Amino acid sequence: MNHRHLLPDEIDQLLDGEVGFGVAPLQAHLRECDQCRAAFEQEREVVEALEHLPRLAPSPDFTSRVMAQVQIYEPWHVAARDTVVGWIRPLAPRSQPVRLAVGGAALSLAALVTVATVWLVGHADATLFFAGLVRTTLVRGLATTGAAVVQALLGRSATQALGGNATAVIVASISLYIVVFLAAAFALRAAAVSRRRRA
Amino acid sequence: MAVFDLANLPDADVVALAQQGREPAFREIIRRYERPLFSLIYRMVRDRETAEELAQDTFLKALNHIDRYRADFKLSSWLFKIGNNVAIDHLRKRRLATVSVSGAPHAATEAEVEATSFEIASHAPSALDQLESRELGSAIEKAIAALRPEYRSCILMRHVEGRSYEEIATTLDLPLGTVKTYIHRARLELRRALKPEEADLRTPDTEP
Repeated sequence: MNHRHLLPDEIDQLLDGEVGFGVAPLQAHLRECDQCRAAFEQEREVVEALEHLPRLAPSPDFTSRVMAQVQIYEPWHVAARDTVVGWIRPLAPRSQPVRLAVGGAALSLAALVTVATVWLVGHADATLFFAGLVRTTLVRGLATTGAAVVQALLGRSATQALGGNATAVIVASISLYIVVFLAAAFALRAAAVSRRRRA
Repeated sequence: MAVFDLANLPDADVVALAQQGREPAFREIIRRYERPLFSLIYRMVRDRETAEELAQDTFLKALNHIDRYRADFKLSSWLFKIGNNVAIDHLRKRRLATVSVSGAPHAATEAEVEATSFEIASHAPSALDQLESRELGSAIEKAIAALRPEYRSCILMRHVEGRSYEEIATTLDLPLGTVKTYIHRARLELRRALKPEEADLRTPDTEP
């Protein structure tokens, strides 16, 4: 038998159900020493009384009272995503066969695009020639549209000020596009945020 | 919004949904922690009405700043930390108000003034008092009430909420050794309060 009574820390270790190399001798001492066992039992009774204490409930309307004061912040990107999903969801086919058909069509399209890409890479010369052609057409188209947009929004004098410079027209029109895009994004955000649900 | 079975999601996922502004996630957080938090605060302040107000403050502080929640901290620890601070602050203010003879000069709000003059104003036990005496009237509850607030929060978190020493230390911003000491002393005081005749059965360091 260990000729030393258990220290308070050691009784705590046993109460906390600690396991390990150092605990076995403490348990052995506890089995043999009436005095330490009585002290341990007293402590255990206190711990048991504590562990049997019930969790008390607040009044039934507690949740609604808290929710009435909670400020729910919905980040704009979540609100925008919800809005877009809200638009798309009604368009998604409901029946299983239609969904399968749409899925099959999408897969076929993806396969076609892949084959076309592989073909274009295999015929790089022709691809580059056509890409150049498309680029020239696109720049001309963009400049014409941009000039039209600038003229429509800012008047003929603005177009004249740009002096028919294609790059200036494109930059000006892109800036206008960005302004319009940002305005649309803010409008979307405002629309989405107004949907925030409150309790 | 996708339909989630919120009750089966771990805390971290519920918080992530709350951070996206999902209202049901806020309700789920309250549902999970209203009882543990209210119990802790009620046992700290021992007044049902005040405990409800403080528990409400705790949730509002947490939920209105859910974007500040760091995922490396357990949600329960975060809520208990706020709840404990709210309760300790209240006890501190109440102690200041009680020391004053002329009423409650430290009371910052009307509610506090009312709280400090309540005992003087009313002697008849209300239904709420009766409920309180039934809920917190047992010997162990009274013994807990007599503990220092620091001991009280540690012992309640350890044995009512089943938190580890490490978690309590993190939650209450205390060194691990201090938490162990507080819990040991709290157990000792509770034992003395519950069985005064047996409390000093033996001196621990004596030779057999």
